[in-house]
Amino acid sequence: MQFCRVRSVAEAVDELSRWGTEGHILAGGTDVMPQYLRGERAPAVLIDIGGIDGLQGISDVGGVTSIGALVTMRRLASASLIELRNPALAQAAGAVGAWQTQTVATVGGNVCTAAASADTLPALLVANAQLTLVSKSGRRRMELGEFLDGAGATALRPTELLRAIELEPIGDRAAEGYIKVGRRSAMELAVVGLALRLQVAPSGVVSDARIAVCGVTRPPHRVPSAETALLGTQIDGGRIDCAEAGAELASAAAPERSEAARYRRRVLPGLLGRLANRCVADISGADG
Amino acid sequence: MAAAGGEQSVSIRLVVNERPHVLDVGAGETLLGTLRERLALTGPKEACCEGECGACSVLVDGAPVASCIAAAGSMNGRTIRTVEGLAGAGELTVLQQAFVSHAAVQCGYCTPGVLMVLTALLDDVPNPSEADIRQALAGNICRCTGYQQIVEAALDAAGAASL
Repeated sequence: MQFCRVRSVAEAVDELSRWGTEGHILAGGTDVMPQYLRGERAPAVLIDIGGIDGLQGISDVGGVTSIGALVTMRRLASASLIELRNPALAQAAGAVGAWQTQTVATVGGNVCTAAASADTLPALLVANAQLTLVSKSGRRRMELGEFLDGAGATALRPTELLRAIELEPIGDRAAEGYIKVGRRSAMELAVVGLALRLQVAPSGVVSDARIAVCGVTRPPHRVPSAETALLGTQIDGGRIDCAEAGAELASAAAPERSEAARYRRRVLPGLLGRLANRCVADISGADG
Repeated sequence: MAAAGGEQSVSIRLVVNERPHVLDVGAGETLLGTLRERLALTGPKEACCEGECGACSVLVDGAPVASCIAAAGSMNGRTIRTVEGLAGAGELTVLQQAFVSHAAVQCGYCTPGVLMVLTALLDDVPNPSEADIRQALAGNICRCTGYQQIVEAALDAAGAASL
């Protein structure tokens, strides 16, 4: 195996085009290195993109949150722009691994590895994340949902580099959050993780609901049937009734007959209720 | 040192415990392997080799990193601090002294990693709460102490340092 250090996106896509499936991107390395050490992955070359400064930014571009692929979990968890505009992502990034991994693990790595349990993916999905993928032959944009939905692990081509992720920030009278269930408070893959973005009209009716899960059998995904069940719900006395949406969520996200799925069906309605009421409190707090 | 067959080397410059080094490391070599086997710094411990347990924690540019899954090749230009870099001229740091006073060391295997994470915490947050300390240590497994003495030592060190 060789180690190839690149300094720019142009150099990176040159190397990717040269090596194809034989090359593997190294960013934070928290997935790639254990896989290599266990003998599960044996690339001909590791292409180290950690030194590309252009992939490190967090910015507001015309009302859209733009995040470079190399932004670390630790930065996402503490960046004021993310806490303010995409708080579910800040919470999800803070739930990844532990401090020792958050220091180096990158959002681009979380997206491209696309583990079923990847904490940031539900948070990115409720923000309608758009990915910018670049290769020697040009660039393309793709919705994260579509990127994750293919038959392979992701729609990323061997010659492509994820450059940036664009997110819709939460709007007025809106809030969002991420909750994860695991057996340990750190270094734990999500048994199930849930992100919710909620928007409430001045009349007190839910005007937008976006729900996404991770840790289940399918790759992380939105759950439209549960979103529909929550839409139009009237907030009553500062509380929101999520019974119908919770039941939809449980049966849609964990339909299997396994014991693991049965457990997920037990916890998902409660997680949704907790998140939704936290969102309602955040919205009322900001409103009052 | 994890080196698969046919692995090529890559040159890195790094500073470890204030000493500069230029090293040729394997393409798949871990930072932990470099520290322990090339530089004879055996403070950082090899345990899970998966970044799960925190025994290998070192500071990279001041922040804790699981050195057992960090690629040595990616450390070019970085500044590393291991537990060997804490005590100056035979004198323990306030945190290390607090570990002694509170009997926060039992078998000792997790201690170097725990000390590095707490050193980073005390640098970032001079007066951490107990919750801050427990959160910072969530990635460090200790099977002896039950953590209580470690947390008390850290609180004591934070109090002493802020005097």
